Amino acid sequence: MKKAVIFTLALTLALTGCSSGLTIFSNYRHLEMIELVRTVTVDSSEDGVTVGIYGTAGEEQEARMYEKSGPSIGVAMNELTLRPLGREAILSHTENMLIGEDLAKTRLDEVLDYVERFSEMRLDTGLLIVRDGTARDLVFGLAGEETPASDVVAGLDRNIARLGRGYVFSCREIAASLAQNGCALVQCVRGEEEEKLFEKRGDLNLAPAGMAVMRPDSTVGFLSDEETLGAMLILGKLRSCNLDVPVDDAVLTLSVDNVKSDIKPVFSKDGKLQRAEIKLSLEANLVSMDGLVDVRTRDVRERAEKALSDKVKSACDAAVRRGPALGFDFLDLGGILTRREPIAMEDMGVSWKEVFPSLPVEVEVESVLMRTYDIIDPPEISGREEGTPWEKLTDSLRDS
Amino acid sequence: MMRGRSAAPAEPEISPDATVSVAALEEVYKDCYDFESRDLHIGGDVRRKARLCFIDGLVSGSDVAEQVIKPLTDPERFGAVTDMKSVIAMLLGGSVYVYTAKSRTKLGELAEDLLNGFCALIFDAERTAVTFEVKSQQRRSVEAPKEEKVVKGAKDAFVETMKVNTTLVRRKLRNTHLKIRQYKLGSRADTAAALIYIEGFTNEGIVAEAERRLSGIRTEGALTSAVIEENIVDNPHSPFPQVISTERSDKFCMNILEGRVGILVDGLPLGFLAPGTFSQFMKVPEDHSGHFIVASALTLLRYFSVALTLLAPAFYVAVAMYHQEMIPTRLMQSMIEAKQQVPFPTAAEVIMMLLAFELLQEAGIRLPSPIGETVSIIGALIVGQSAVEASVVSPVVVVVIALAGIAGYTMPNQDMGSALRLCRFFLVLAAIGFGMFGVALGCAVLLYHLSSLESFGVPYMTPFAGGEGQHLSRALLRHSMTDKKDREPELKTGDGGEAKL
Repeated sequence: MKKAVIFTLALTLALTGCSSGLTIFSNYRHLEMIELVRTVTVDSSEDGVTVGIYGTAGEEQEARMYEKSGPSIGVAMNELTLRPLGREAILSHTENMLIGEDLAKTRLDEVLDYVERFSEMRLDTGLLIVRDGTARDLVFGLAGEETPASDVVAGLDRNIARLGRGYVFSCREIAASLAQNGCALVQCVRGEEEEKLFEKRGDLNLAPAGMAVMRPDSTVGFLSDEETLGAMLILGKLRSCNLDVPVDDAVLTLSVDNVKSDIKPVFSKDGKLQRAEIKLSLEANLVSMDGLVDVRTRDVRERAEKALSDKVKSACDAAVRRGPALGFDFLDLGGILTRREPIAMEDMGVSWKEVFPSLPVEVEVESVLMRTYDIIDPPEISGREEGTPWEKLTDSLRDS
Repeated sequence: MMRGRSAAPAEPEISPDATVSVAALEEVYKDCYDFESRDLHIGGDVRRKARLCFIDGLVSGSDVAEQVIKPLTDPERFGAVTDMKSVIAMLLGGSVYVYTAKSRTKLGELAEDLLNGFCALIFDAERTAVTFEVKSQQRRSVEAPKEEKVVKGAKDAFVETMKVNTTLVRRKLRNTHLKIRQYKLGSRADTAAALIYIEGFTNEGIVAEAERRLSGIRTEGALTSAVIEENIVDNPHSPFPQVISTERSDKFCMNILEGRVGILVDGLPLGFLAPGTFSQFMKVPEDHSGHFIVASALTLLRYFSVALTLLAPAFYVAVAMYHQEMIPTRLMQSMIEAKQQVPFPTAAEVIMMLLAFELLQEAGIRLPSPIGETVSIIGALIVGQSAVEASVVSPVVVVVIALAGIAGYTMPNQDMGSALRLCRFFLVLAAIGFGMFGVALGCAVLLYHLSSLESFGVPYMTPFAGGEGQHLSRALLRHSMTDKKDREPELKTGDGGEAKL
């Protein structure tokens, strides 16, 4: 029995593939011969596509970019990974993929197809569309003596949500949205020439440029910054961002945290879909203040909360209006409402495509200013006893 | 030609002529310079002689002189006794001050007694000799254990003398049901061994099995622990220890109280405990000295160490050679950077470092203590650092091998540590050949082997496999002393597995 088990296991291993040199398993790579790719660019070219890989052979090594053209991404990538410079490029650590606007307009499906089919690529690779230029030029412009372009792109990936300027969707999310909804949101970026913060960085700065509503083989349209903010808030992608709101003569920068989005359908008595309701609740904390207002007073706090709610509502309304205008439900409201009320949505007798263009969508925003970080404006603590020494102190400070 | 079974030769008896008996003994101990014999005059009367025989060194000279010769030659005591039969009766009745006296009629018994630290008195015209136990007290005193460090607990370790060891056990387990059965091991060395258990509590099946295996040991002499271990374990070909060996008397007694049988062997400063299960090798007596939460955390740490020492090098080899996508980007960059100047492939690096680690360890053990420590320091610090600086090995490999090595040292039982080290090599080789598939296959084979082991009828991997699953927490954690104490159900103790508090 033992021999049979061992023989079966050994046979299973032998059938996994052919050998590679001294090793039995064929996936062997020499560690020192690896070119670690972190960013991939794809642009359209005369040959078809130009693929660029931007990688490094080590932490201290200078980042390099190699590019090849071919009729398809696969062919161009094969040329690149045939060790043209004595190294083997591996794509498993690719963090972001930048594609030029021209290519995205017609061949987004091909890019996604390659990522999904090529086992080395990860599906959670972020996808960005480069506007007003090619991805290759952007990466070249971003790369500086001490700042690899990959780090700049990865930095944007991490911080864009914090800034409230968008969200880098992964290839998996985009592909899933295209499959389920027929369209998908893709983050756009562009290179901007700005004053260099230090000498050894690249000539260009990477800036968010809204979002694109994409179909597999065409671009539906682009969202402005405000529409992008609204869309991300509704979709719950921005759980935390900083927003400026005017209050009296000052501008308060509020850190918006704990954003909750609740989307539900409202039906008439005869089962018809009357409207969709989007309710957003968010909590905010004061980060900084340009100007002077007494944020400790209740009426100023309420005005700040209202200003924040108005700003968020405006952004959400803009995003909601943009869908019917483009003719695509890029927020996937249909899917969300169906998941919320599957039976009622099924029974309403009309398809979502018919309802969507004229469906009223009401957005309601509730904001709460939690903390001003003022020493005499302590946070509300439930169950606190009246007249504690701390309260007396803060009351006296307030009175003075 | 048919060959009939020859009858066993009759054992020679003591001759009524003392000279003949002494000559026979001298023949037995021919060419033994430490065999001594001399005449004694009973009660100071030159007409009544007795021959005193002993092996110098095995007996205490002062005890022989004070407790045997002095009273025997005392005229007041033996002067009036004329016949030898009365002398023998008086000697056996306590007229000399020795607590053990035996009457012997066979020469073979007499010769054996001499080897056991007795002196013998042979009388003229009598077929009976008398032997007295006057063992030399030259033996190592009880000291703190050297191999198993005691942090908080009893510091009396076993010594080479079995009787001292049984005394240590008796002092800790004052129970009339504690039984100590003696056995003789070895056709030539005739080593004494003792089987220790608590009657009515220790599972009778385990006791019977231990008896059977001890009696069945075929050896010339039980002078090393491997003779005992390899002869009594279920699978002597497995590198994993299947009986617990300890030099700590407190650990030995705790396990006897758990329902295990103990074996002590004269000449070995160790006690053996059976059955030995994998979970028992992860425990130390200090677990019962410290707080139960801390002890539980440390036990879990030891299990983690098993995984680390076994898998870290193999996992590194598999990931670095085949599955680079599993390494985080920053770490991968550092690894590639460090590997640029190293001329050897990853597999060679790891094998080299593992061998170097074993060499250093072996050198450290074999050399005398101060030099051994110096070698370890030179090896670990200077050679390791120089190897990295000279780009012979990459720093990550040094870190991985060192981590695996240190994790191996956390094993309470060094036999288990050695077995894990051996398996580590096989897993690395499997990883070199097949990557993660190889590591998974190696782990599967290892688990298969461990799960198929048994120790005295108890599954080795109990309670993880083959045992009762609900007792898993007892293996992984140390419960509070105030909680109800359940014993290992597989030991099937006489109290039904529930401690009598």
